[in-house]
Amino acid sequence: MNERISDSIRLIIRRPILRTSIILGIITILVTNHLQITIWKLVDGWSNLLKLGSEALPPDFTVLTERAGWTHPPCTFESDILCSPAVVGMTQTLEIAFLSTVFGMLISLPLAAMAASNLSPYWLSQSTRQILAALRVLPSLIWALIFVIVVGIGPLAGVLAMTMYTVGYLGKLQYEALEGVSKEPLEVARAMGLPRWQVARFFAIPEASNALISQALFMFEYNVRHGSVIGLVGAGGIGWYMNHYLTPFQLYDKVLALIIVMFVVVVVIDQVSLIVRRGFIDDTANFQKPRWRDVLISKDPALKSAKKAE
Amino acid sequence: MDDKPPIRLKLRDTAIGFDLESPLLESVDLEIRAGEIVGLTGRSGIGKTTLLRTAAGLVSPLSGSVECCCTADARAKKGAIGLIPQRLGLVQHQTVGYNVLMGALAGANFLQTALSLPSKKMREETRSVIEEVGLADKTLESVNRLSGGQQRRVAIARAMLQEPDLLLADECLGELDAETARGIIDLFRHMADEHNMAILIVDHNPVRAKTFCDHVYQLRGRRLIPFEEDAQPSLLPIIEEASS
Repeated sequence: MNERISDSIRLIIRRPILRTSIILGIITILVTNHLQITIWKLVDGWSNLLKLGSEALPPDFTVLTERAGWTHPPCTFESDILCSPAVVGMTQTLEIAFLSTVFGMLISLPLAAMAASNLSPYWLSQSTRQILAALRVLPSLIWALIFVIVVGIGPLAGVLAMTMYTVGYLGKLQYEALEGVSKEPLEVARAMGLPRWQVARFFAIPEASNALISQALFMFEYNVRHGSVIGLVGAGGIGWYMNHYLTPFQLYDKVLALIIVMFVVVVVIDQVSLIVRRGFIDDTANFQKPRWRDVLISKDPALKSAKKAE
Repeated sequence: MDDKPPIRLKLRDTAIGFDLESPLLESVDLEIRAGEIVGLTGRSGIGKTTLLRTAAGLVSPLSGSVECCCTADARAKKGAIGLIPQRLGLVQHQTVGYNVLMGALAGANFLQTALSLPSKKMREETRSVIEEVGLADKTLESVNRLSGGQQRRVAIARAMLQEPDLLLADECLGELDAETARGIIDLFRHMADEHNMAILIVDHNPVRAKTFCDHVYQLRGRRLIPFEEDAQPSLLPIIEEASS
């Protein structure tokens, strides 16, 4: 008997996958017990799910056609569709996502250059990284709660909340992209005796421009998805309208219609963004690479005419 | 009175490398004057690039002195040193015009750089050097789409616009056909003669270097010594190829 047990233990020790699976299984059981999660609670929830389903189905798409007189800010269009909760809410979510991505990128890019270890001295890069990490500590929902208290309910709180989170998140992606650029252009600039900000502005950022633009597009997608959540705490966007239907009326059919609208818009944006980003990522794609043009050179009429002649 | 051209780079008893206990090069003495082209040869990994980076102020010498462009340390005045690294150091996905214009940054004032507004003179000079290297029709082309030889011309045009006192070029002629290499050599000669530039160029082919350099040195056994053709019998076929 003892031999059989010791054989089994040896077998487990020898096989890493089996060993890891057993350890993970034990941890999962311990954590589930600690959180007091039981199968009975899940069974009880099933009836609630059925009740929710019966109230939410079929979705009430009048949220797309009926004018809502209670939009914030008030809708001034004559068309009922343009002033419907779904269109107003989704438009606000997109606007919040756009503004927060633009403001976030404007703030995060110089911070990322300061945080990149190949562009800044150690003390500056480390301290800037801590600032960016601090901004990432709070999720956008908590930032939204803070700004709703500071500036009141509405899209401004949403824009500020998403901007803060964008700076922290995008800043990290950007400084990693900047640290990954080839060192040779930077050495050319340093040998010329250029100051650090010029090395970053004219060599490192253009060198990493494809990755930076791709990241900004990804951040816009992310902000559209999260822009809907922050509305639940009053920071504008489609989430605010969902919350309006949920409390106190519990109009789940209208909420489901809003969720479907949001889902369709997010899927469309994801696909468009994916196609555009592919052009920045894939070097082999037959895609006219967008470039940060040297605007003044291309404005030169002599060069323009030479290009046309070509 | 000394009417020799001014010294642009002077290394005196310099040890070069990253570890004082075992430097890549030691007791290096080198002097380059304005208008001179000096060739540097040696086997791979012996320290040619590190010597160039030390001269450029990117690596500190382990001992001895590096006097660059008449200053007492490796940090020369802004724009005095031009560098063409082995892989050219071009900003990828940017146009030929953009890359060449970077050479004018050292001479630009704060407003011009902060607002990205190069002066009319800078733009004209940019166009002029691009024409000089024979890439006028490629000005708005991305450098990624150019051939290796054309990319080298872009890096040289950037250096021409910068007009440094000392140009350090790392293996600019590697992997080029004889005709393209000749064209680039002519550009270096032009820069040295017309712009009075001192040029230190690393070339794997010492015999070719002999044909256009004023002096050729080789790195051997941690030392910098003058190149002697007699010591390289295995290079005879290359000599014949070069002379033909």
